[in-house]
Amino acid sequence: MIDFDEVRKLVDENISRVISLGATYVDARFFLEDRSETLVMYDGNLEVNDTTLESGIGIRVLWDGAWGFAATSDLSGMGKCFDRAAGNARTAAGLVQTPVSLGRAEPVKGGYSTPVEIDPFTVSLRDKLEFLSGLDNDLKDDFILRRVVVANLMKRRIHFWNSEGSDVEKNLVHVFGRMMVMAVDSDGEAQRRSMGLYSTGNGGAGWEMMTNPELFSGHASRIKSELAQLIKAPRMEYGRRSVILLPGQGHLQVHETIGHPLELDRILGYELSYAGGSFVELDSFGKLQYGSEKLSVSAYGGIINSPGTFGFDDDGTPERDYLLIDKGLLVNALTSRAMINEANKRAGREVFKRSGGAARASAFYRAPIDRMTNVNIVPGTDGTLEDIIASTEDGVILDNPVSWSIGSNREHFHFGCEIAWEVRNGERTRVLRNPTYQGHTLEFYRSLSAVGDSSTWRVEQVDNCGKGEPNQIMQIGHGVPVVRFDDVITGERE
Amino acid sequence: MLNTGIREILLKVRDEARGSGIDARFLLHHENSHLMRIGNNSVSLNTSEELYRLDVVVREGTRQGSQTYLGMIDDIQVVRDVLKSAVDKARLAPPRDYEPLTDRVEENVDEEDQYDEALENLDPSFKEGAYGDIFARLGGKYNYSGSWSSGSTELYVITTAGDKEAYHKGTDQLFSVVLKHPGTGWELSGRQTGWRVSDFDADKTVTELERLLKVFEGADGRMVEPGTYTVIFGAAAVAEIVEMAVWTGLLGRGWEEKRGWTAGKNPGDRILGENVSLVDDPVNPDTFMFGFDYCGRRRRIFPLVGDGELINLMYDSATAAKYGKKPTGHDINSLSLVMDTGFGGEDPLKAVGTMGRVLFIPDLHYVNIPSESAGIFTGSSRFNAVLVEDGEMVSPIFSTRVTDSFVHILGGIVELSSKSESVNMSNTYGRRSPVAMSVPSYAVCAEVKITDSADSF
Ligand SMILES: [Zn+2]
Repeated sequence: MIDFDEVRKLVDENISRVISLGATYVDARFFLEDRSETLVMYDGNLEVNDTTLESGIGIRVLWDGAWGFAATSDLSGMGKCFDRAAGNARTAAGLVQTPVSLGRAEPVKGGYSTPVEIDPFTVSLRDKLEFLSGLDNDLKDDFILRRVVVANLMKRRIHFWNSEGSDVEKNLVHVFGRMMVMAVDSDGEAQRRSMGLYSTGNGGAGWEMMTNPELFSGHASRIKSELAQLIKAPRMEYGRRSVILLPGQGHLQVHETIGHPLELDRILGYELSYAGGSFVELDSFGKLQYGSEKLSVSAYGGIINSPGTFGFDDDGTPERDYLLIDKGLLVNALTSRAMINEANKRAGREVFKRSGGAARASAFYRAPIDRMTNVNIVPGTDGTLEDIIASTEDGVILDNPVSWSIGSNREHFHFGCEIAWEVRNGERTRVLRNPTYQGHTLEFYRSLSAVGDSSTWRVEQVDNCGKGEPNQIMQIGHGVPVVRFDDVITGERE
Repeated sequence: MLNTGIREILLKVRDEARGSGIDARFLLHHENSHLMRIGNNSVSLNTSEELYRLDVVVREGTRQGSQTYLGMIDDIQVVRDVLKSAVDKARLAPPRDYEPLTDRVEENVDEEDQYDEALENLDPSFKEGAYGDIFARLGGKYNYSGSWSSGSTELYVITTAGDKEAYHKGTDQLFSVVLKHPGTGWELSGRQTGWRVSDFDADKTVTELERLLKVFEGADGRMVEPGTYTVIFGAAAVAEIVEMAVWTGLLGRGWEEKRGWTAGKNPGDRILGENVSLVDDPVNPDTFMFGFDYCGRRRRIFPLVGDGELINLMYDSATAAKYGKKPTGHDINSLSLVMDTGFGGEDPLKAVGTMGRVLFIPDLHYVNIPSESAGIFTGSSRFNAVLVEDGEMVSPIFSTRVTDSFVHILGGIVELSSKSESVNMSNTYGRRSPVAMSVPSYAVCAEVKITDSADSF
């Protein structure tokens, strides 16, 4: 058994010790419990029935302007882990051009717990499996070749302490659900239709989301009937037209071409060896027209039940609500303490006033980097989906990604989707299969011509955002309405 | 050999499980990882993690449950609890409609062929020094990034179905440096892979980058109009395309489910060009060699495609059980994919000397699959990409998108290098799982579809 008070005492002692040796800053993230459960029903067979439990501590030391990090599960060797992190920082300090500075911050004391009606880890496995089997049953049909139902549940109890005297406790719960059906079309190609659990931004984030028919479980018959149409549908032809993105696709568009390019570490060039850079420059803030005036984008957005909501980031900064893009103008980025100090210093002006609370690490054994929290398009005034269709002359409605490939500076993109509905003269005419579209980020967002109202807005959950080295998988939320872009290249040239 | 204390605990709990009639597999994964990251000419992160992960999978009839634990394995009760959790989960699982296969370690294995103690214990200052040296030699006017991952992996598998033990210990490293021009924004990259400290050679990277710098410093970037082009794909791009083609076309699961681009094809059918032969070769030293898989099955040389014809599909244990096939030792992340070399000279520029205007795309960024059935992939150029005219590199090209099919690209190779290159394909998302492929150092493909280009790098 882990003696929490003992851990805390050891952490306090070691933080003081490493500071007294010469470190500028030290923090510790202790994961008392990092639990996840994955259940996958594949054609009615429970193929994955797994729980994972992780526990340990990650230590970050800033020494002479350089970061060192070390992690261990061996709490009896905690002193050694602090020494290793300090040693790593001292080695790193031998090759530093711009010393890392965190600026000054008041100690943060506080706690955050995800609002949960039903903790998914208190639901018996029997009840969970009964629910998933029921859903699997709803997906059955003669023409369907493959059915998949997935539940992915997470629970984390994290304590954060730093040498500034901060003390933060977080209890996070995330629930992800996905269902998918697959069939073969008239050309013998596999087609699929899927649905991921979403939220309205309000309410609990526990098992209750999974069993809520509106948010997840009630969509089985819809995706089945859409798949039935899809396998008989003609292929999408190449051409320029409007694209109307439903939130199932719009959230990934935002994720890849607004979220990632606005991570400040990426803008500053700290991801060049892996994920890539950003076409956004420090000079762009307050000047760059990112999109049309209809585009306003928020970070966090006051969403209470999303995987991008966590109370305090891994610098200890409280999460806060602010605009990234205001009526098309780029105004802010996804930021952490160290990155804003470096950016302001490099720019020679105060580009960023304070940290956006976006420093996040995926596990105790990973160091925090700048991540998305919730990155959201603010609902607009162009009415419902039906209103937007009615005002569209020639377009397609697109939903759910099949494929996404983005340029290394996020300046261009190519997406493949599950399904398209053709729109001609204000009416939905037919379903099209194998839809794809591509574009250049700024040109695309500047062509944004309609943003749906709050009736079209929903929070989509992302459980697999990859970034960083060592690589980290992060959970993120995106509140997005239905959006329409004009004159977009769709389909593939023959 | 595995830490004696841990081995004894695991064997004891295994024996207890067997005594209670439990059908279980124990997989221990131990990593000692180090990574140095470079950004803006500085070490931006210097990190060490030592982690033990234990996976216990329990089968009860057709039911199954598993528990993964990441933490210390120094107390037998911890391992008993992990086993109990897996047992409880298996008991509550609904029965499956097929009989799963029993996991059994086929042979005692104790392999350390690719283990270098010096690499496992490499002092981070070695990496810091090497980066500093490279920056100094290539010049201070550029912006440097990079990462250097190194470490060791131990794998240990035992099962209740037998007394044999499979043990693997190896080291691996992946070095990269990215050089970016602060004004124009082009990026050059150098990478190295290996399992020994001595596999790293700073001179090699400096020489390669100096050669490219002459072209990149000497000409402006060019935008490539969409259309079809002859393209030289470098080793990294070839490895990326081949790996994607294998995952979407040569896994038994996708084939049985008619999802992939080989659906409807059978062994003996032509699926790729005559000059394409692929094998999963766990004894090829240009790959990271794993002699057994996570279920304890022996991994052997396994031909996939021979002269363009489909030979075998890879079956993991669950797929094999479900479809009545034999498992092929592929319950593992670390394949050893090898693509046979061809008859082209070593120099790709000479190979296209008479072909006029050609794109040289050494590396593909962010490849994804818009259609698994049609085997269509898309990705864009990033590092080191240039326009070649009559065998001469003439100018760098802007970020350029390739959208084409495996069948077309790997069916239309007009020149294939006779020299092989080891390409490290590891990622560090989950547990340390080193992966390297051996591929021809270049492949020249005709009529490659370029579908978009940016006006910047
Ligand atoms: Zn992402």
